[in-house]
Amino acid sequence: MIQLSNVTKTYHPSGGGEVVALRDVTLEVAKGEFVFIVGPSGSGKSTLMKILTRETLADAGEVHVAGRNLALLKSWKVPVLRRELGYVFQDFKLLPNKTVSENVAFALEVIGKQRSIIQSRVPEVLELVGLSDKANAMPHELSGGQQQRVSIARAFVNGPRMLLCDEPTGNLDPTTSVGIMKLLDRINRTGTTVVMATHDQHIVDSMRRRVVELDKGVVVRDQARGVYGYSG
Amino acid sequence: MSARWRYILQEAAIGLRRNLMMTFAVILSVAVSLTLLGAFLLLRDQVGLATGEWFDKIEVSIFLCDGNKCPEITDAQRNSLEQDILAEPVVASVFYESKEDAYAAFREQYRNEPDLVDSVSPDILPAAFRVKLHNPDQFEVIRDRFEAYPGVEDIIDQRELLSSFLQFTDLLQGAAIIVAVIQLIAASVLVGNTIRVAAFARREQTSIMKLVGASNWYIRLPFVVEGVIAGLAGAVVSWVLMLIAVPWATRNLRESIDIFPFIGLNEAIAVGPALILFGVGISGVASVLALRRFLDV
Repeated sequence: MIQLSNVTKTYHPSGGGEVVALRDVTLEVAKGEFVFIVGPSGSGKSTLMKILTRETLADAGEVHVAGRNLALLKSWKVPVLRRELGYVFQDFKLLPNKTVSENVAFALEVIGKQRSIIQSRVPEVLELVGLSDKANAMPHELSGGQQQRVSIARAFVNGPRMLLCDEPTGNLDPTTSVGIMKLLDRINRTGTTVVMATHDQHIVDSMRRRVVELDKGVVVRDQARGVYGYSG
Repeated sequence: MSARWRYILQEAAIGLRRNLMMTFAVILSVAVSLTLLGAFLLLRDQVGLATGEWFDKIEVSIFLCDGNKCPEITDAQRNSLEQDILAEPVVASVFYESKEDAYAAFREQYRNEPDLVDSVSPDILPAAFRVKLHNPDQFEVIRDRFEAYPGVEDIIDQRELLSSFLQFTDLLQGAAIIVAVIQLIAASVLVGNTIRVAAFARREQTSIMKLVGASNWYIRLPFVVEGVIAGLAGAVVSWVLMLIAVPWATRNLRESIDIFPFIGLNEAIAVGPALILFGVGISGVASVLALRRFLDV
């Protein structure tokens, strides 16, 4: 699903000098896995996510996502890649002027799916995330946890092969976060790969999945059933 | 597929309404430039109509007697006249225009003035030999040679007749097209800028669309359509202006100038498609170019 080989990314901030965000990172994620990417701020987590979503390109090394070499991918083909993946962010990224249903439907409209398909899939996925009764609510009427569920529903409605999540519980309280993680876990069990960058210690500790730890741009740990902090 | 188009048109409408003042400015700007362009095209039509069928093909018109001012030319006279004209070394070619031909041409040229046409009977117009010279300045030679020829009623150099009118319209056309081009450039820049502002205002929605995998065109089209609709509106405004101004202006001019016909509503209607094509084309291209760097994935 994901293959990074010797990936390096350097930023050149306007003040001068350079920041090596990722240094010679090699990483592989197989289909169906559930992987946490952890590390403090500045560790390269966000850069890694940006590279995976092709928001930016690596300076060195190879990046393969869903069978595509991102460096060789033509920019007009990027939307096609994005349709095969689902993205969940810390700030939910919902369209404020559309209802919950419309927000989820948007992902289908944008790729030209027929009305009939949209009308059957959207309620299905809203039920999966537990928001069937909020179908006509507006985002600002929902709690943070509910908004994130809508976001996840939108990410999942196209049946993506992988969900990329960047701090999905960042704006949520601990209890709500647990609910979100249960949802992501359920989605993972359907066969969808889940890669999640986070610094939520409790969640990582409670789920005991594969943990990849970054520190100053380098992979320092890659544990099959890991916890957040260093452990045996 | 139509769900997509519904989305595109909806978004374009929202954009236009949200920034009504700018939309208005764009429409006005496009209307002004297209009005000037329309004026240029109509002047061209007017010149064409005024100079008539023969103007740029020949230099000398030799009108033949038809019983009005002198006894009608006989066939023998006409044949010998034709031979002698052709014998002149300065003559390149000769065309014969019968009275029927002349009448038909007259009806065509004065099609915007049906009253005048009705008051002219078919045999009022004389037949003529239309002569093309090798050297246009040799008109004097022909006139001196054939002025007193039996059967010749009149010899006219049309260029002389219309020269001041043509000078005037040349000037006008030149001015119109220059100002039109300048204005069109200004209008395109305005359209481009308006679209950029609209796109910037909707950047959050745009970034979410990119996330969800919308293609570049799906993201761009609502803005381009916005620009095109404004351009189309501008074109329609200028067209309506033409439809009102042209008949009114020519009605007044007709009363003071009677040596040639004027364009009318027909020409004003005919210039519409060109205006719309330009309006839509210019704003479409301006919008696409404005969005180029702005929205790349």
